[in-house]
Amino acid sequence: MSPLTGKHERRLDQDLAGLPQSIEPRRDLWPGIAARLESGRVRPARRWAWQAAAAVLLVASSSIVTLQLVKSRVPAVADAPASAPVPSAMPAAFGPGHALDPEYLAAKEQLAEMLAQRVDAMPASARSKLAANLAELQRATAEINAALALQPGDPLLEELLLNAYQAELGVMANVNQLTRLNGTVNQTDSARIRL
Amino acid sequence: MQGSKTAFEELYREHVGRVYGLCLRMTSDHALAEDLTQETFVQAWRNLPRFEARSSFGTWLHRIAVNTVLGQARRRSELLGDTGTIEQQLGDVLADEAAGEPGSTRDLEAAIAGLPPGARYVLVLAGVYGYSHEETSAMLGVAVGTCKAQLHRARKLLRQRLGEPQEQP
Repeated sequence: MSPLTGKHERRLDQDLAGLPQSIEPRRDLWPGIAARLESGRVRPARRWAWQAAAAVLLVASSSIVTLQLVKSRVPAVADAPASAPVPSAMPAAFGPGHALDPEYLAAKEQLAEMLAQRVDAMPASARSKLAANLAELQRATAEINAALALQPGDPLLEELLLNAYQAELGVMANVNQLTRLNGTVNQTDSARIRL
Repeated sequence: MQGSKTAFEELYREHVGRVYGLCLRMTSDHALAEDLTQETFVQAWRNLPRFEARSSFGTWLHRIAVNTVLGQARRRSELLGDTGTIEQQLGDVLADEAAGEPGSTRDLEAAIAGLPPGARYVLVLAGVYGYSHEETSAMLGVAVGTCKAQLHRARKLLRQRLGEPQEQP
């Protein structure tokens, strides 16, 4: 690529990235959407997410037990690179003035502590991915909590928040399980720490 | 239920521009983009319990929008055969949309709208909305290599249409 062509390439990329990402439709589309939601063919958000949360908690708790059993047999990883900062677990609350179950919080805290111990054993790329995933979850949770502050008790927002908590537990449990056998995460396993 | 809809309408108001922008750039058709935007939000409502916050809500909506656009394109292709010519005939739609913008923006929107669908989809997702090759390929259901090749093709076609110097072989 010639210097001139390279310059044009970069300008094209800048022009593309500079285009407005948001274009407002020429009419309000919400009435049509609301009508379809009212038609009854579309089901609303449901409360069963509490049951799913309990299931995730069970999986997470069992991984804690497994890890505690094998912990004493897992050798420390030599020459592990210094860890990139990984966000700690987000404080779990269910909107202003509400708190999650103490057992849930305790299990979550244990998972977070274990994650902090294990993070040094992860390849730098996996640590970076993990940090990005947890940061994204925390950002989403903050957004939902802010919306809940405006509309306390809204079932849709509560369900979204619960999903975020589940996702965080899932990420932490996943990482902990991947490190349980030999205290490290290989490149194949690190790819399983999915976004 | 009503409270949920109120909250969902707030989400709609916040995200509709980015969803509609994506649909419009992928289809080059205002009326179709409006239909697909509505369908995207209806699908989002249906699938809200599956939203796991592994990505932002906006990215999740974009994934649904891309699926909706691709599904519609497949159905239209089955009905009408190859729609490449039709797509190119619609190439001035976004130029009209950008009529109040500076000349370069207007030209660029028109050039994007005139791209063949495959190249346009990749360029819009990766070039305009900043998704990585991996994210773009996952959204479109193609290999990363295909995504890179389509982006290279799209940029080459864009430079041709914008009258810029071409890469030497």
